[in-house]
Amino acid sequence: MNYSAAVFASISLLMLLAIVWLTFSGTRHRPKGGRNDGSDRDCLHISHLPQIKQALADSDYLYLKGQGYPALANRMRKERRRIALNYLTCLRGEFEKLLRLARMVAVMSPNVAVAQEVQGLRLSLEFSYRYYLIYFRLVSGIAPLKAIGSLSNMVSALTIRMETAMSELGERAALGAELLPHNRGGLNAGG
Amino acid sequence: MCLNIAQSLFLYPIYLHYGAYSHTAKLAGWWSEAITLLARIFATLEILHVVLIAYRGIWGLAWRLLATTSVVVFVCVVAASWGDAERALMRADRGYHLIFAAALISCLALIRHYLIRVGKAYKVLLVGFCFYSCVKILLDTVLYDSLYQQRSQYTTIWQILVISPYLIVLLFWGAALLRPLPKMREQQAVLPASLYGRISPEIHLQLQAINKKLMNFWKIEEPQQ
Repeated sequence: MNYSAAVFASISLLMLLAIVWLTFSGTRHRPKGGRNDGSDRDCLHISHLPQIKQALADSDYLYLKGQGYPALANRMRKERRRIALNYLTCLRGEFEKLLRLARMVAVMSPNVAVAQEVQGLRLSLEFSYRYYLIYFRLVSGIAPLKAIGSLSNMVSALTIRMETAMSELGERAALGAELLPHNRGGLNAGG
Repeated sequence: MCLNIAQSLFLYPIYLHYGAYSHTAKLAGWWSEAITLLARIFATLEILHVVLIAYRGIWGLAWRLLATTSVVVFVCVVAASWGDAERALMRADRGYHLIFAAALISCLALIRHYLIRVGKAYKVLLVGFCFYSCVKILLDTVLYDSLYQQRSQYTTIWQILVISPYLIVLLFWGAALLRPLPKMREQQAVLPASLYGRISPEIHLQLQAINKKLMNFWKIEEPQQ
């Protein structure tokens, strides 16, 4: 088999895999949020930013270490890292919620700008890439835990701007909310 | 399916009279095949239109995506198959299936991205078309290259391997079409176009700012370590 044939065969196999994936992965991945994940407006994890920042501050760790409790200090650091990771996951959940809102607006619009949608897709991919980069660096312990505060501020700003924009939707947004749950199934929704 | 049956009915007497390897049989076979392939494109476009009719903006996006993907893959296929006149028809058939499957997969990905509901029957029809095209590319590539020299063996294996996936697809289609097709839906709620024009750039500007900050994430924080 020559080079060209191998390429075509690989492409066809990849496309078969893509069909299987598109057929059976109807619901998009929704990251597990915190305890309040079920409600919409009460679940703004960014409102817990001061507590998380406090938890990530070095002062407590340094104090415990200075007082001669290194084991306790390490345990505290591990627990706080776990909290930070949960928080990061929740932030992603909020970010995705906003993205879903953007998609919903596009679905309900009579005209959709290709450039805008392509840009949205590109930015969303970029965010995912960077999010996972930060996530894995946090997991591996090479990231400064304080850095998570910056991420929170970014999502916070986006949320506030989006809340303002969406308030203009009024009753139409309510119609959109009705549309969203029935759309959730994607290709796997069935008929 | 009716077209496929009609094609068989049309070809059978020609094969009997002129022989399966005659020039006339070849011409009739490929021309009738071209007609069924064209019909397949129209059928797929119609299904996609029915699925997306309730979402006018997304339908606009989908047909642009279909056109772009088709043109890009067409250029790639021509470049990859250039200079192989002996197998031109086989390459053209493979190229068609590749363009068809790639365009359809990109459209299915778009539907999934916007979480648009697709009726089960339509889903089975689209996936069936796509599956058959992918199998056909694989057969056109692997089987033709490796078995063509041994003609007697090639014909039997070719017939079995081409008919089998087609029958599987037909089986699924038959099962899906036992129930009546869902009704076409009108767009349920249309937002004013100006609203999309206002909100969408707003979101993207924010996303851009977030990505920019994320990009500098470590640079900002590193000195504090």
